[in-house]
Amino acid sequence: MLLQMKGITKAYGGVIANKHVDFSLKKGEVHALVGENGAGKTTLMRILYGMETPTDGSITLNGKPLQFSSPADAIANGIGMVHQHFMLYPSFTIAENIVIGREPRRFGFINQFRAISEVAELSRQYGMPVDPRRVIGDCSLGVQQRVEILKVLHQGAEIIILDEPTGVLTPLEVKELLESVRRLARSGKSFIIITHKLQEVMDVADRITVLRDGEVTGAVDASGTNVDELSRLMVGRDLVNLQRKEQTPGQPILELEGITLAGSGSKPVLDHINLSVHAGEIVGIAGISGNGQSELLQVISGLAKPDAGALRLQGKDIKDASVRQIREQGLAHIPEDRYQWGVAKEATVADNGLMGHTDRYTKYGLIKGGKVREMVRGWVERFSIKTGSLDTKAQHLSGGNLQKLIVARELEHRSPFLIAAEPTRGVDVGAMEVIHGELLKRRDDGGAVLLVSSELTEVLKLSDRILVMYEGRIVGETRAEEASEERISLWMAGGKRQ
Amino acid sequence: MNLVNQIAKSLLQPLLAILVGLAAGAVAIMIVGGSVVDTYAEMWKGAFGSFYFFTNTLARATPIILIGLGVALAFRAGFFNLGAEGQLILGGLSAALTALHVPGPGWLKLTLAIIAGIIAAGIWSAFAGWLDTRFRMNLLITTLLLNYIAVYFASYMVSHPFMDRTGSAAMAQTPMVENAAWLPKLFQGMSVHAGFLFAMIGTILLFLYIRYTVSGYEVRMLGGNPLFASYGGVRRGRLMLISMFVSGGLAGLAGAAEVLGTQYRFIDGSLSAPGYAWSGIMATLLASSHPIGTALAALLLAALQTGGMGVERNTDVPLEISSLIQAVLILFVSARISYSFIKNRKKARAAADGSST
Repeated sequence: MLLQMKGITKAYGGVIANKHVDFSLKKGEVHALVGENGAGKTTLMRILYGMETPTDGSITLNGKPLQFSSPADAIANGIGMVHQHFMLYPSFTIAENIVIGREPRRFGFINQFRAISEVAELSRQYGMPVDPRRVIGDCSLGVQQRVEILKVLHQGAEIIILDEPTGVLTPLEVKELLESVRRLARSGKSFIIITHKLQEVMDVADRITVLRDGEVTGAVDASGTNVDELSRLMVGRDLVNLQRKEQTPGQPILELEGITLAGSGSKPVLDHINLSVHAGEIVGIAGISGNGQSELLQVISGLAKPDAGALRLQGKDIKDASVRQIREQGLAHIPEDRYQWGVAKEATVADNGLMGHTDRYTKYGLIKGGKVREMVRGWVERFSIKTGSLDTKAQHLSGGNLQKLIVARELEHRSPFLIAAEPTRGVDVGAMEVIHGELLKRRDDGGAVLLVSSELTEVLKLSDRILVMYEGRIVGETRAEEASEERISLWMAGGKRQ
Repeated sequence: MNLVNQIAKSLLQPLLAILVGLAAGAVAIMIVGGSVVDTYAEMWKGAFGSFYFFTNTLARATPIILIGLGVALAFRAGFFNLGAEGQLILGGLSAALTALHVPGPGWLKLTLAIIAGIIAAGIWSAFAGWLDTRFRMNLLITTLLLNYIAVYFASYMVSHPFMDRTGSAAMAQTPMVENAAWLPKLFQGMSVHAGFLFAMIGTILLFLYIRYTVSGYEVRMLGGNPLFASYGGVRRGRLMLISMFVSGGLAGLAGAAEVLGTQYRFIDGSLSAPGYAWSGIMATLLASSHPIGTALAALLLAALQTGGMGVERNTDVPLEISSLIQAVLILFVSARISYSFIKNRKKARAAADGSST
């Protein structure tokens, strides 16, 4: 065994994040660590990477007992980590980003020529092509991911931890990444992949360790298991297979005609978008993020004003309406970036839950605090949101629990029209099931839902109709029954409308 | 339990800052050769040593509390209102001129003068807010620069058109307001006046407003995350004008109360010289914009200032010792601000990176 973690226990006050966890890694192995949010995956890896000290337990590397006190310590011992959110400097070149911290120097200055040749050599050696001279800000996320891995390799890592590595990648980039991982593993590097995407786990991992509530519920060989068994181990029960029932859509609820938004560049951010969402229908928008989806949602919800086109909600022109008026006209909105739009982190759970509901919970300008708390407490129970209390600050909730809070808040409006943007980003399988179920229920009850997701599987699973956005335009449309992953992937990459 | 915890937590930092401030003061006292114990004893006596000194401290605290409350409201909404100085002076000037030139019985003059002070300062402050919503002019800069206009405008008004020409001394000041329009003193022969009651009531009202009203909720959310607030349908522009108006209005009330309760006329420079406006901003920062905390911090700063006068009267240690302690307090508070500013910058950067992906 290259690495052995034995009986790891970590307690934060009364909360136990890891309970007697055993974890091991062989040389040249890809070991997936799966589990729901809050299952303790990240805590375990933070302990390994020297960011946390375990309450109990031991770590041995190459047979030597070790205890890292900082990430620098871990790096020095050949352990590298690629974080979920990339830690790169957008205005610097790929070479500069990779050699940072161990720059080749010349007279006290960074030796650019050496840096570039080192990176080119590294890139060739590991078969991960990058152009060392390009500026990170101009690179796709797939390339940035590659740069992160090369950076870790440049630091001399033998064990590489990848935290949710495929979250922001396109299907093609995911495939490339997984291939690179396999290739590096064959050359002797060892990988720990933290993820909740079980299909990818099955594709890439040799072994899989499943955590639930801080405990190991299974450590299995990938060859001897399947996705169903893994999700059972993760959630602790069988998942219901959601079915969309046949239903004919009703009246158009949301209508966009020729919506155009200029943006700062020469190309419009939104280019004559036509779309409609009918009652009892989920319309899914697929596409690599950054192709105008965010702006489209901002225009619909009133946060940005279009330069041209018509916009109607329930037959009423809302092009010049304020956010509040549009909400009153019947819109609820699960925002794509929960920290940016969805919450105030310093505010409490109850306060965050009140947003948008103030008109219903007021008397003489005062907030009906008791009623609000009753409502939010109901959500906490129904969606099993893990929070200390209703007075806990939002920033202390895990991402998945925060997402559940936001989803509950927006569903509470029971609005005719609902925007669901990345509704399950970063949430675990159990919560995903609940959220998907709620969205389908809304549709079955005659609600109109506009789903925007960079997860193709999610779009395929929920939508009645699928549109694909590319560079501010809708480049493809298909009914769900006729949709194929291949065709949509092609559209997402900019292929022409057939 | 939760509330106690919250209060204890919000008190920790200011108490620490005060301790360090006093320690720094002790070093300075030793350097000038004074006795630390004697000096601090004199400072205590100067601020709280007798009923007279105590009410004196309350009188000094009055404008600082009112200004601090106004600044706290703006800060809570995320608006850096640094225009308290100008708002205070316009409030004082308007109150003095109203009391002097509006006909009627004393109580009417008094009431109208206070209202005029609030409205004039409120509009001045809301004007900066309007410049922000309409032209995206940075509020921090506009409020700061509008101070100069207000100060020099008031200075001109009382040295030319409205100057008191009755006496022989040509001071830049208005004539005296008639006795009937004065704010009553709370105790015979003591300097604390009814303005202090305004400050107390204002503190409680602002606390209740922020905590229990819908509009206060919107203010908190706007300050907490402006994008979240706009996403939820909070009307930023409207809320900005209202909160800036009230923020300035409170500073105006401070000015009006000083004029009608202490000086009975507007004297050029008399509201700037004691540094009320900046003490108010400091009190807000010390208390992280909590209304009740702001009032307590204002009282503390006032006590430092009146205590400093006591030190000067009775020891060889100069008055500046108080300024020194205050300066250390500011340093500590600003250290925290720049720390949270950097944190926010990082967050904003991360958010920007996230959204561009």
